[in-house]
Amino acid sequence: MSEIVTLSLAERPAQVLIADCIAADRFAGLDAKAIAELPVIHGGRPETLGTFFKVRGGRSGVVRVEGELTRVAAIGAGMAGGELTIDGSVGRDLGLAMSGGRIDVRGHAGDNVGGARPGAARGMTGGEIIVRGNVGDEAGARMRRGMIAGSVVVLGKTGPGAGRFLKRGSIVALGPIDRPATFRYACTYRPPHVGLLLRYLRSRAGVAVADRYVAGRYERYSGDLAEVGKGEILQWVGE
Amino acid sequence: MRINGVTIADTFAEAFTMRVARIVITGRTAKWAREAAIKLTGFATSVIGCKCEAGIERELPPADTPDGRPGISVLFFTMDKQSLPEQLIVRLGQTVLTCPTTACFDGLPDVPDRLTVGRALRVFGDGFQASKVIGGKRYWRLPVMEGEFLIEETFGMLKGVGGGNFLILAEDADAALAAAEAAVDAMTSLPGVILPFPGGVVRSGSKVGSKRYKNMVATTNDPFDPTLRAITESEVPKGVNSVLEIVLDGTDAQSIAAAMRAGIPAACRPGVTTITAANFGGKLGPHHFHLRKILA
Repeated sequence: MSEIVTLSLAERPAQVLIADCIAADRFAGLDAKAIAELPVIHGGRPETLGTFFKVRGGRSGVVRVEGELTRVAAIGAGMAGGELTIDGSVGRDLGLAMSGGRIDVRGHAGDNVGGARPGAARGMTGGEIIVRGNVGDEAGARMRRGMIAGSVVVLGKTGPGAGRFLKRGSIVALGPIDRPATFRYACTYRPPHVGLLLRYLRSRAGVAVADRYVAGRYERYSGDLAEVGKGEILQWVGE
Repeated sequence: MRINGVTIADTFAEAFTMRVARIVITGRTAKWAREAAIKLTGFATSVIGCKCEAGIERELPPADTPDGRPGISVLFFTMDKQSLPEQLIVRLGQTVLTCPTTACFDGLPDVPDRLTVGRALRVFGDGFQASKVIGGKRYWRLPVMEGEFLIEETFGMLKGVGGGNFLILAEDADAALAAAEAAVDAMTSLPGVILPFPGGVVRSGSKVGSKRYKNMVATTNDPFDPTLRAITESEVPKGVNSVLEIVLDGTDAQSIAAAMRAGIPAACRPGVTTITAANFGGKLGPHHFHLRKILA
């Protein structure tokens, strides 16, 4: 058993690489060889993780992934525990249907972060995803309760479709956001849990969040009104 | 033993095991956190009549609170583990929930015994409430007319100590009061301790039961009433004309002993003759605070 499992991208995929086998809790029970033999799909064809990644360490729930990963999709899919750090930017479907643990992305993430599997009614149900850069479309789509119990905090720009089909849960946008038409303005206030959440991200994850966001005023939009409407988009508007 | 000419009686304070919770209230300003704490700890002097004992432990600077706002730490005591959540639900619901700008956090996060007080209060939200898990702790957001009230789902419960005490015997009422005030000043904001009585001081010390009225649980402590010195088995020494008591509740015996060590010498002022303590012969309460041992 090692303290940490490190995956280094050795061979840049020519096409989209679906690596939904990369999940911190799954690696806790596997040695380096077994991890390298896990299945991935590259351009629609079956391959193994070891074809693309150099695996160091094994049997640990603390995982680090390194390399240019923008073509690598579905990292952390279905993850239920452990810690997954990604040094760089990742492709779409990060933390798909995740239920526990923590994913920390040092770069950008693609579409459908914390979203649902195709056709599924439920997206992410638990755990935390921190994306320090930008995220693509449909972050938290169909999220019921997930991402810090139903919160997506976006420090950069949030792409369109964020929060679509949101039942409960929150999207906290510190930067600009394209709101779906199915969210309705409620009020402008200082949500107490946002301060708590941002302070937590600051202390626990070392995310640099300015005080003006922690104690700031936010516009509250309720939605998705195509669903139960108990979710919200909180958009920062000032101190 | 004497301190500044004041006799420290060779006796002990007898205290009981109680259940305790620490409530951290924050507000937009220290004023509003304090307003909620004052209401929460109002009418909470003695379990005899109030069913709970509570007081402000200390003020918390923004850096020491979960949400970075000014806060107040309150200790809240009951005699048994069933009544602690009952009292907290009733009181937090009527005092902290109602108070503008406040949020309410658990001050005993590492304690395994959890009371689901926030979960019980969430139903005020009438289905519009929402929960958040932040850093592994669940919080409830209750919509209110002002905006939102945030409360932690569970609060820790510890076995605490209630009824630590000492008595200040003085030549007159003014000297007793001045000594009590000095003692309270010396004990205010010490960690893990509250003084549940008005201004930290009680003038109506009580004995168990009654000599005359069967239904009375507690009646005047006649051995220490100076006015009855001539007609009861008095313990009031000659020259003493007024007695005040300080009662201490704490999260543990050490905290109470530390507070007594700070408070008793402060009470040893001109006009005070003796510091003593109330006990029941040592048979009722498991915690004994021997004055001379504490001060040695």
